[in-house]
Amino acid sequence: MNPQAKPQTATNEPLPHEHDGPALSAQPLPLHPERRKAPRTWETPPAPVSAPHLDDYKTIIGAAEIDELRFLARKLKGRTVKMVNSTAVGGGVAEMLNRLVPLLGELEVTTHWDVITGGNDFFEVTKAFHNALHGSEYHLTRAAQEIFLAYNEQNRQRMQFPEDLVVIHDPQPAALRLSRKEASRKESPAHWVWRCHIDLSNPSPEVWGFLRPFIEQYDAAIFSSQSFARQLPIPQYLFYPCIDPLSEKNKDLDEAFVQRVCDEFGIDRRRPIVMQVSRFDRLKDPVGVVQAFKLARKYVDCQLVLAGGGASDDPEGALVLKEVKEVAGDDPDIIILDLPPWCAFEINALQRASTIVVQKSIKEGFGLTVTEALWKGKPTIAGAVGGIPNQIIHKLTGMLVHSVEGCAYQIRYLLTHPEFAAQLGRNGREHVKENFLMTTNVRRWLLLSRILLRDRTV
Amino acid sequence: MTTTAQTIFPRTPAKPFYFNTSGHLLRITTQKANTLAELLAALRVCPDESIFQHTFRTLQEHHFIREGYSNDFAHWALAACNEPGLAEQLAGVDVREFTSLGELRERFIQIVEKHLQLNPADGPRMAEETFYFCASEIEVMPTNFVAETMQDFTRGLREVSVHSIHHHFIEARLRLKLMSNDFSQWLHEDVGLTDAARALNRIDIYTATLEDVRRQMVRLLERSLT
Repeated sequence: MNPQAKPQTATNEPLPHEHDGPALSAQPLPLHPERRKAPRTWETPPAPVSAPHLDDYKTIIGAAEIDELRFLARKLKGRTVKMVNSTAVGGGVAEMLNRLVPLLGELEVTTHWDVITGGNDFFEVTKAFHNALHGSEYHLTRAAQEIFLAYNEQNRQRMQFPEDLVVIHDPQPAALRLSRKEASRKESPAHWVWRCHIDLSNPSPEVWGFLRPFIEQYDAAIFSSQSFARQLPIPQYLFYPCIDPLSEKNKDLDEAFVQRVCDEFGIDRRRPIVMQVSRFDRLKDPVGVVQAFKLARKYVDCQLVLAGGGASDDPEGALVLKEVKEVAGDDPDIIILDLPPWCAFEINALQRASTIVVQKSIKEGFGLTVTEALWKGKPTIAGAVGGIPNQIIHKLTGMLVHSVEGCAYQIRYLLTHPEFAAQLGRNGREHVKENFLMTTNVRRWLLLSRILLRDRTV
Repeated sequence: MTTTAQTIFPRTPAKPFYFNTSGHLLRITTQKANTLAELLAALRVCPDESIFQHTFRTLQEHHFIREGYSNDFAHWALAACNEPGLAEQLAGVDVREFTSLGELRERFIQIVEKHLQLNPADGPRMAEETFYFCASEIEVMPTNFVAETMQDFTRGLREVSVHSIHHHFIEARLRLKLMSNDFSQWLHEDVGLTDAARALNRIDIYTATLEDVRRQMVRLLERSLT
């Protein structure tokens, strides 16, 4: 992959990311878009865009709220923070830190970001820990414990922690924290916080039992949902995951670009579009979405778009995609798109073109695709699982469902009650603006830093 | 003397109004409820900050909704326990009628207690979702807005964040220990606009979004200044 390479397009015209905004010159729109046999996909990823500045968010949340961030940061001037996680690229945590760290720096809260290193044996163990903490069965061996501890010790020797606040993300580097007694002996000045991004509601007792004594040495823990918190003797805070409204996946798009993406994929915008954006994964229930669509379409005219990825590099994903295609049959109104991971602008355009967004998950962490849909003001129907009910307040910011039949009914209802659907969309966008944007996340970090460092002199 | 001063300078404030704002961090507490009986037990022992979070603060988190959201207890009673009657009573608790969190807590306890006395079978029935008690940790900070004139004040009202509106207009009664708010207090005591102060205090926060409340306040003040 060459990140600087120019994406290949059918027409070789400039792409949105080559400009300040996704402004493509308006093309004459075909009256009857011709469906392609296979959707266009980029063969190489686009060049990365530079991270936005704080003032860029003014048009989204208002100048007063940006000023509030500056006031919050004022008392933290000169303080330092270190973020530690296990990967610099790929994954939601790295994506979030890529935006958070520069924004905190712009607020004069100097923030360093370190990544732990480890061999394959370490990452095999931590992957198994990850799955076990999500509830998979796992037998914790002595050897696995030793590998985990040895790499944490190696990283502790390599790193230094002179900062005022050290934030450890997820379980991989959790044992970097010395015991309180030892930290006090070494006169380590920092407050330590464990930021857990994963669902700990049903962890393997063995793995959690092993990690828990390390977590108890921290000064605070942060979870993404109330239900993920554990009984711990330290304060636990709730930080919802967030989206960046200025990222490729969420920023405003030129209408001509949205139209062109739909044309490329053979989506008819003159008819209602029901969309699910998700990996081809059984937990996202794409087969259930097709079934719900087929039930709904008996009464209302609509098309279904399933846009996802994961089928090319994941054998199970390929299997699920095959199942979805079998259930879809040769229905011309079901459009299945297997997209590479760097199609953020296209996903953004597809979400914006949708009439309704569905996220019929059976199990879910937080469900950031729901957040993305709500942010775009889309009436959203989603499974009442994981963190989705934090985002969708039934009948106020979206519709929660528990079955294929329920999903089908809500598709019919929203397509035939556009005013109610539009109100859900407006409320949903405001809910995201208030609670799930990157700027809200910056606010939470500043508040936490102030609360933890309140009694300490600079 | 005050009356004379107000007659001469009816719109010149005796003291400036400093617009502040507050930031809230959500702490997850150890209390949770899977039944109405557990809700009642937790209501009795949870920290005051939890009562604040699930009433005053949730109103701010959902400030954009005009219909059907007043506090988390009412929402849970309806959505997770399917108890519309109880939910209605809980939703009817108006935070503006309380100047202490202790009184507010007692009101919720009374409502749930009475419901369970009349409907004892509802007590142990499992809810569809757990109610997790959270608590709000607050940091108060200044803003760039200081009103030395009424023009400054209306400009401040237009431009401060909704967090600041909530801080002065809704949370204030817990600080003031009065059935009032910071804006009305200032308009009454330092500007002499008593009627406007009263009218401001009557704006309904449950049937309007905080942005609607802001617009109503500005309109009301503009009318009283002309």
